[in-house]
Amino acid sequence: MKINALLSVILIVTAAFSLQASAQDKTQPWNANQLLAPEVLAKNIGISDTAAPLIICIGPSALIKGSVEIGPAQEHDNLVKLRQLLSKQPKDREMVIYCGCCPFDKCPNIRPAFAVLKEMEFTDPKLLNLPHNLKVDWIDKGFPINEN
Amino acid sequence: MLKTKLLWLTILLSLASATSFAQSNQTATALVVGSKAPDLSLPGPKGDTVSLYSLKGRIILVDFWASWCAPCVKEQPELLQLYKKYKHAHFKNASGFEIYGVSLDNKKANWVKAIQKMNISWIQVSDLKFWNSKAARIFDVEALPFNVLIDEKGIILAINLHGKALEKSILNQIDK
Repeated sequence: MKINALLSVILIVTAAFSLQASAQDKTQPWNANQLLAPEVLAKNIGISDTAAPLIICIGPSALIKGSVEIGPAQEHDNLVKLRQLLSKQPKDREMVIYCGCCPFDKCPNIRPAFAVLKEMEFTDPKLLNLPHNLKVDWIDKGFPINEN
Repeated sequence: MLKTKLLWLTILLSLASATSFAQSNQTATALVVGSKAPDLSLPGPKGDTVSLYSLKGRIILVDFWASWCAPCVKEQPELLQLYKKYKHAHFKNASGFEIYGVSLDNKKANWVKAIQKMNISWIQVSDLKFWNSKAARIFDVEALPFNVLIDEKGIILAINLHGKALEKSILNQIDK
């Protein structure tokens, strides 16, 4: 009897964690396939290739080597700058945006920027998967940065 | 037999979920309470370099923040209250309370504007390098806001406490 009760509690807790994770995924404008692993992007930086992704910083500072700085996308003027930059790009070019200020759930910049990519109908929009921040998920791993 | 196997399976699944949840919320740090805090030496808004060790003799809160960090900005008025309340308090061994604010801003204008807007009167320093700041490396900062409370000899008293827990740690050093 006790085992049954324990099993029930454990199953409920496990289900609650799963439901929470699932609900969080559904509220994001991106899907799992649109999250780009930092390791993958780091390998492509510095390679001279016309098909290379355009890396756009929509956060406080374009620390990733070769990225273009737009500024925090939570500010209207920076969203206008992002639209201007994107308007000159072919729709099928791989676009990678990143912020890296804060964990995804607290970042005020990635959602409005990703929404613009989708709205402008880019076929291959990507969000760099920096779930913690730029230090933990990029700098600490030794990936290339713009030194100043 | 089947019941036992099912029990072990569900326990393992629960542990995996709980571990994953804990990892997503933790802010790991290499600093240890009771050990000596590392030194920092960074420029203030006017370019004058201030070193953390030069403040020895006081209880010091090393506060890592940035104007782009909403929770950090929200916490600054609370720190202002703590600063006013304890700056000249009578501590057991220390001669006062000081805050050493380390900003991870990268634009000086944003940093200075935030300092002025929130009437921050304590020490402020920054190398204006965002997450590539040497201060973040030295103190192994993995998320903002982050702080370290150190005593008059530079020994770490507490790591990343906020609100009432932080004030309680300061109060523990008061001469009662």
